[in-house]
Amino acid sequence: MDKNGRAMVVGAGIAGIRAALELAETGHKVLLIDKSPHIGGILSQLDYQFPSDHCGMCRMLPMIDRDDSSQYCLRKGLFHENIEILLSTEIISIDGEPGNFSITLRRKSDWVDSQRCIGCGICVSVCPVDVSDEFNEGLSYRKAIYLPVPHAVPSPYTIDAKACTRCGACEAICPTHAISMSSQERKQFRILVVDDEMIVRSSLMEILDTEGYSAEMAESGQKALEKLAQQPYQLMLTDIKMPGMDGVELLQKAKSLYPDLPVVMMTAYATVETAVEAMKIGALEYLIKPFDTEAIIDKVFKVYEKFELVHARKEEVGAVILTGGTAFFDPKQDKNTYYYGLLPNVMTSLEFERIFSGTGPTQGNLVRLSDGKPIRKIAWLQCVGSRDIQINADFCSSVCCMFSIKEARIVKEKSNGSIETVLFYMDMRTDGKSFQRYRDQAESLHGIRFERAKVHSIAPDADAGDLMLRYTDISGKLHEETADMVVLAVGQRPSSAAKLAESVGIGLNSWGFVQTSPFSPSKTNRPGIFIGGSFSGLKDISESVIQASAAAFNASKTIQRATCNVQRAKTDAPLLQKPPRILVAVCVCGNKNPLLRGAGVCQELVKEWMSDPAVIVAEFTDQICSEQGEKSLAELVGKHKPDQVLIAACLPYVYGKRRRELSQRIGIDPLLTEVVDISSLSDSEMIRCAVGMGIEKLRRMEDLPIETLPVKQKALVVGGGIAGMTAALGIADHGFEVDLVEQGEKLGGNLLWLNSSIEGYSMQTLLEETLPKVEKHPLIHVHTQTRVVSSYGQAGDFITTIESKETGVQTIGHGVSILAVGGTEAIPTAYGYGKSSNIVTQKELEEKLRNKTLDPLKLGTVVMIQCVGSREEPRNYCSRVCCPTSLKHALYLKEQNPDIDIYVLYRDMMSCGFAEAYYTQARKSGVIFIQYDPSNKPEVKISGNEVRVIADEPIIGKKIEIAADLLVLAAGIVPNLSNSLTHAFGVSSDQDGFFQEADSKWRPTDSMTEGIFACGLAHSPRSVSESVATAEAAAQRALRILTKNQLSAGRVTAKVHHSLCSLCERCIEACPYEARMIDPEEEKVMVNPARCQGCGSCATVCPNGASYIQGFSRQQMLAVIDAAFI
Amino acid sequence: MTEFEPNIIAFVCNWCTYTAADLAGTSRQSYPKNMRLVRVMCTGMVDSQYIIKAFMEGADGVLVSGCHPGDCHYINGNYKARRRMKMLKEILPLFGFEPQRLRLTWIGASDGIQFAETMRELTEQVRVLGPSQAKSGMVL
Repeated sequence: MDKNGRAMVVGAGIAGIRAALELAETGHKVLLIDKSPHIGGILSQLDYQFPSDHCGMCRMLPMIDRDDSSQYCLRKGLFHENIEILLSTEIISIDGEPGNFSITLRRKSDWVDSQRCIGCGICVSVCPVDVSDEFNEGLSYRKAIYLPVPHAVPSPYTIDAKACTRCGACEAICPTHAISMSSQERKQFRILVVDDEMIVRSSLMEILDTEGYSAEMAESGQKALEKLAQQPYQLMLTDIKMPGMDGVELLQKAKSLYPDLPVVMMTAYATVETAVEAMKIGALEYLIKPFDTEAIIDKVFKVYEKFELVHARKEEVGAVILTGGTAFFDPKQDKNTYYYGLLPNVMTSLEFERIFSGTGPTQGNLVRLSDGKPIRKIAWLQCVGSRDIQINADFCSSVCCMFSIKEARIVKEKSNGSIETVLFYMDMRTDGKSFQRYRDQAESLHGIRFERAKVHSIAPDADAGDLMLRYTDISGKLHEETADMVVLAVGQRPSSAAKLAESVGIGLNSWGFVQTSPFSPSKTNRPGIFIGGSFSGLKDISESVIQASAAAFNASKTIQRATCNVQRAKTDAPLLQKPPRILVAVCVCGNKNPLLRGAGVCQELVKEWMSDPAVIVAEFTDQICSEQGEKSLAELVGKHKPDQVLIAACLPYVYGKRRRELSQRIGIDPLLTEVVDISSLSDSEMIRCAVGMGIEKLRRMEDLPIETLPVKQKALVVGGGIAGMTAALGIADHGFEVDLVEQGEKLGGNLLWLNSSIEGYSMQTLLEETLPKVEKHPLIHVHTQTRVVSSYGQAGDFITTIESKETGVQTIGHGVSILAVGGTEAIPTAYGYGKSSNIVTQKELEEKLRNKTLDPLKLGTVVMIQCVGSREEPRNYCSRVCCPTSLKHALYLKEQNPDIDIYVLYRDMMSCGFAEAYYTQARKSGVIFIQYDPSNKPEVKISGNEVRVIADEPIIGKKIEIAADLLVLAAGIVPNLSNSLTHAFGVSSDQDGFFQEADSKWRPTDSMTEGIFACGLAHSPRSVSESVATAEAAAQRALRILTKNQLSAGRVTAKVHHSLCSLCERCIEACPYEARMIDPEEEKVMVNPARCQGCGSCATVCPNGASYIQGFSRQQMLAVIDAAFI
Repeated sequence: MTEFEPNIIAFVCNWCTYTAADLAGTSRQSYPKNMRLVRVMCTGMVDSQYIIKAFMEGADGVLVSGCHPGDCHYINGNYKARRRMKMLKEILPLFGFEPQRLRLTWIGASDGIQFAETMRELTEQVRVLGPSQAKSGMVL
């Protein structure tokens, strides 16, 4: 059977979007679904992200072939030629095998027709229901008909079926008849209520009736059976205790006749046991009398939802990516120390995020919701619901520390430093690239206080609304402090989609997160189904994005042989040199636009526009945004055959996709259509003005053919460690040639000395599995003992010179480069390193244990010092692996010899994510952890063979001296990315020498120069498994280019009038994408169309007007400004 | 006498402020009457010439608004705009325009309310200054 080249991505959060875009960009068709009515996942609620403290999500959009996708804010919406998005949709089942999955989906019925809805919002004003708004984390109220995300398109309004009372007010008032309530559908859902008590029957009937169901009554079991025989029912609610035939007997009889009939038992407390028994013989649920209306509605709705399954839809795909995201801990659960939900000014970090959002309940003003008072002091409490064994959360949620620092910094910024901020924490886990400096700045620059202490209780303070925090510091001293707001940094929990994953056979770990493969974190135990983003738990944005790309890579590997690279046939539009022929279509918006009502206004405007020779026709039409309107527009175009189309309407974003469809239908390039927004204009004069501006823009629009660049479909990978090998294998498995260049004698990198991961997976096995695959792959050419001399070119076309002693100098042509040069352990310069054979680094210890030159049985006392040279200038970053490595070593030594005394001297234990469990385990096994401050570091005294470590023990408040048989220094990682290499490839490194990514969150493996990517330790300190993820991600990024035989530029790109150019080269300096260079032979400034993104920086610096942006030329802009004031 | 209603032109970037303007529109924020919106890809593409031209053609106030610092879709276009606007404010008086008539702001995609507020504020500020005098007597 042939494989299916289409993939499905489940969950349209940031990881889902990323994975879908990755696959779409490599030519696969993608079905992207989400159970909520909007895309964006949790990120739609978060306006600010570390490290820019703003957004930047749009940088994820395609840069090559960018006209295939939307080119506007990602919060607004997304479309891509190859992506189909289904919202309010859930998965029911996944059957089949890799290459051929059959998937059943359920889509919640759409009561609002997005084609018809014009977003006027009148429906909201008549809706009588108020429910708490989940977008604002319940801090504000919304109606049952609402905008799920205020700024998102499409599907503007949606109805919350659960909250809706089906009063029909919105349906009646909707001017475009976009709303059709599904009451008809509910009427088809027939419920039989069986109870001998009249009052119960009728009250239930009333409830069900209001909810829109068809309910009927029966007063006895016998009567019920008669009714069941007459016609089918979808649900039966039956009492248990009834005279004659009791409920259980009725259940048995009904079930034997109608095995699919769902039955809910109703019972008093006394007979709960009977109800439970009933469930064993087929009852679905039971309800306890007296009834809670909410509970009944909820239970019935659940059955109804299943009934709605008739809307189930089957889809065939080749691979599935699950990006179900995470949920957050609810502090109301369990012990609830902090009175969350009781004291109004104790809120979760997510709720607080809504407080300072422009679309939040206070519109971004930092005031307390309880009394409207301006906030003066905020305290953040870390590790709420994380690192807590009592509530089965022996893991670190990894993101909360940075999340809180970010929130505190934004508060400081928004309040000009006037709000006091304090973070109470156990360990400040700044374990990512640039995190530590961000934290240091928060303290030194922004004045945020960091308090290493656990707040044990919060109580209301004397002042209304204020809070009294009680905590003990590390030495055990008790403190009290007031704040007027407390933010709980709530930890992550498995999302509800984890159950779905389990139901399709994917294993979960002991905390309920999806379990992924040891060294390939996007793979699961079920082939063909991959995991992206934080679905597998505890990841920040950049790691989520990396993993989403890795999942896309693995999915692509599964299905790639099935597709022959779906590529659109690009038509080269003819050069437009004729005089413009513009069609102007102005929408009267269901005759709603009052400005266009007055007698003669329209005629006058038409007359004026038509007096322009460029305008061949100007007409007023109705609801261009609707299907009908679109049709009439297409008719107009067919009739008049214009070369340019100007649409004046509301909601310009709605037209993004429509414009494209329209242009395909009528054969006009999207660039030659323009939409002007007239929805918020105040008089007809302004409409005239706006349309006039649009006409001027179109009049001068050039229609130049899209430039393309041929692609050399080969890759170069520099570095033969696990990252380089993974990337090379991945690309070669996709059928492209790869040159793998390694400086050393052997492939393998750090795997050559590493024993095992902290989880106990053998690195040796990984190496033994990978190495032969690389060496024997017919498409991989391995060059060992070889270095890169120089590299030149652009995405799709690089020429690189490599040199080796054996083969001399060689030139390779390739389309992409991946830098995977790795990193090594830093050489310590402190703590007496090199002065005693008993002082070793972690790497040396690992090697000694590996080749058994160190016998744990001969060790009495081992001291480990963390952060040696790390997390302070000049190496002010966390190396991420040293704390887990120390835990790994400590646990191993303890296992070999339980009598060893092990002391770990640390600053902040960075056992992030699931590594936390090993920290707990180490403490349980007797390893002693002593915290030290960088201003008061431990001292090491060496006399002869004896090593003594002196440190302050903060808990007992005394100096201690430990005689160590072995001192292990955690020296951290330094990258191997040399200056000569970065110069050769024209990429930059960050201040610590790691690869500088184009954007740390949204383009984490790309360089600023398109076509060059990085992965592994050269990118940032990370574990082997995390390195593999970056390698797969980088390979996927590279495949976007390699799978195309030519790269096409966008429509809006920079051009040069060579006759006006004086070669001053200012544009070359101004270009942020290095898209411009001088062609020395032609003596011309050339623009690389694949790199240019059309920002226009070059055009503004050009003194001669030689540089311009197609679609935004100077003549056009000046004419538009002219028209604005006529 | 009817109140002076200033003509305002706003150059907004495609990625942030245009989205905010749209949000302001869809959430029914009230705008000043005589506002004209020009969408550009990036504030970095707003040439000084455009602003002077706008003033000369009859604008009483000009707003240039893009993504927050560090947030620019094109890496640093907004910084370029900031430099350019600073310089322009220095030379505007030479053309006879008060520098207060030109404003540069950063308005993110979800700040619809802030966009409407900024427009109202600028309009009020310009209203106080009165109609731009220089445009009538200006000959280059």
